[in-house]
Amino acid sequence: MSVATLAPPVQAYDRQSGPLDYLSASRLKTWADCRLKFYFKYVERLPTATSPALFVGQIVHQVLQQWNLRRWRGEAADIETLWPVFSEHWIQDQPDDGIDWKGKEDEQKEKAWNMLEHYLKQTPIPLAEKPEAVEVVVERDFVAAGLPPLKGVIDLVRQGGRIVDFKTTAQTPNVKQVAHLNEIQLSCYAVLYREATGHPESGMELHHLVKTKTPKLVVTPLSPMAPEQGRRLMAMMESYVQGVEAEDYVPSPGLHCSYCDFFDQCRAWKRGAA
Amino acid sequence: MAIKLIGNYAKRLGLPGYSSHQFSVSVETELSDSGDIQGEAARIYQLLQDAVDREIQETGFVPGDEYGLRNGNERSHANGNGTSNGNGDHNGNGRTQYRIDNGNESNGQSDRWACSDKQKTFIEKLIEENKIDPATVEQISHDRFGFGMRQLNKLQASGLISELLEVYGKKSRNGKGGRQ
Repeated sequence: MSVATLAPPVQAYDRQSGPLDYLSASRLKTWADCRLKFYFKYVERLPTATSPALFVGQIVHQVLQQWNLRRWRGEAADIETLWPVFSEHWIQDQPDDGIDWKGKEDEQKEKAWNMLEHYLKQTPIPLAEKPEAVEVVVERDFVAAGLPPLKGVIDLVRQGGRIVDFKTTAQTPNVKQVAHLNEIQLSCYAVLYREATGHPESGMELHHLVKTKTPKLVVTPLSPMAPEQGRRLMAMMESYVQGVEAEDYVPSPGLHCSYCDFFDQCRAWKRGAA
Repeated sequence: MAIKLIGNYAKRLGLPGYSSHQFSVSVETELSDSGDIQGEAARIYQLLQDAVDREIQETGFVPGDEYGLRNGNERSHANGNGTSNGNGDHNGNGRTQYRIDNGNESNGQSDRWACSDKQKTFIEKLIEENKIDPATVEQISHDRFGFGMRQLNKLQASGLISELLEVYGKKSRNGKGGRQ
C-alpha cells in the first residue's frame, strides 16, 4: 500500500546534506524499511520521477497548509476560498520533467479536490480553532548521546499541544497497525515538540485522507509518546548511525519493493558496488 | 558478606517561563546473589528511570507567560527603598506591560529570549536585512501567539520565522533560511 506522508519537499537540503549531518523521521523510516533504498536515496541521491500519487499528496499538503495558516492568521479559510489555492498549485507545482499521468490528469485532479473537500467538511478540527503551530521546523541536538541532531517539520499542532500529521493513502488504513507503522515519525515529532516547548504533547492524531472512489477520512487519535517509545526511537537512531558509519547497506526484499523507486538499481546491486 | 547496591536516578527538565523541575528516586537493596551485580544494576536503573519518567510528567504549577512581569516591572522602576521615585516612571496603572527593547533600555531581562540563540539571530537578521520595523514583528508575535517575540518558545519562534519569511523574506530565503 502506498502512503504519502504529506511532508513538504525537503529534498532541497537533503541533497546538500550527508546522512550523518542530521537525522529525520523520513531518514529513519527509510533506513528501517530498506538500507539499500536508503543508500540510493540519501547517499547516492539518485533522482526519482514524481509519481501522480506523490504529486497529489504534495498538492493536498499545500492546500491543508494554507487552510491551517489562514486559521492561524484569523483569515477566511472556508472551502470556497481554497479552490483557487488548489488550482494555482496544481499548475505551478508541476515538475519540469513532467508527470506520467497516463492520460488521467483531469481524473486525478478531480479526485484530489474531492478528497480535500471531503476532508474540510468532515474534519474534527473546528474552523474557528486557532492552531498552536503550523508547518514548524523543529530541531533537537543529541550531542550528549553522540548522535547527530534530529530535525523535522510538524504539519500542525492543535490547541493544547495535539500533534497532527496528514497523510494521503489509496487504501483505508488498518486501525490496528497504524500506530505501529507511524511510530518512528510520531515519536520524532513528540521528541521535537517537547524540546521546542519544554512540555509533553497532549496527544497525537493521524488524519488519513483516503483516495477511494468515494473519498474517506480516517482520524486516528493516539496517546502521547510513552517512555518505552522514546527508548525505541533512541535505539533506532543509534542503529542508524552505527549502520551508516559501517556503510551497512543491504536490501530488505518485501512487499514494499513493488512500489520502490529503486527496484531496477536494487536488482543490479552487487555487494560493495555503488 | 552482604553486598549492598545503591541506585539513584535524577532528571531535571526545562519548563516554560525559564523554570524547570527535577525529581530523583533512590533505592538501596541487598543482593542475595553476588554473581549478578550487573543484571541487578540494570534492573534497578530501568525501574528508577521508569518511576522518574512517569512522575516527572506531572509538572504541577508552571509559571504563565505573565508570571513575575508585573512585579518585575514595578521593581525595576522603583527607587530601591520601596517607594516610587515620584517621577511617574513606575507602572502605576497596575497593568502588565510588554516592552519592546529598542536598545535604549536594559533591565537585565531585555536580552533574554526563550527560543534558541540560532532562532533569535535569524529573527534579528530577517528584521535587519528586510528593514522591518521591530514593532511590526512584535505586533505579529502578539497577534499570532498572544505575547512578544522574546517570550516565544522554540516552536512558536519557528512559526514566526516562517511567517516573516513568507511576508518579507525574499532576501533571506535564498540564504540560510529557517528550514534547516
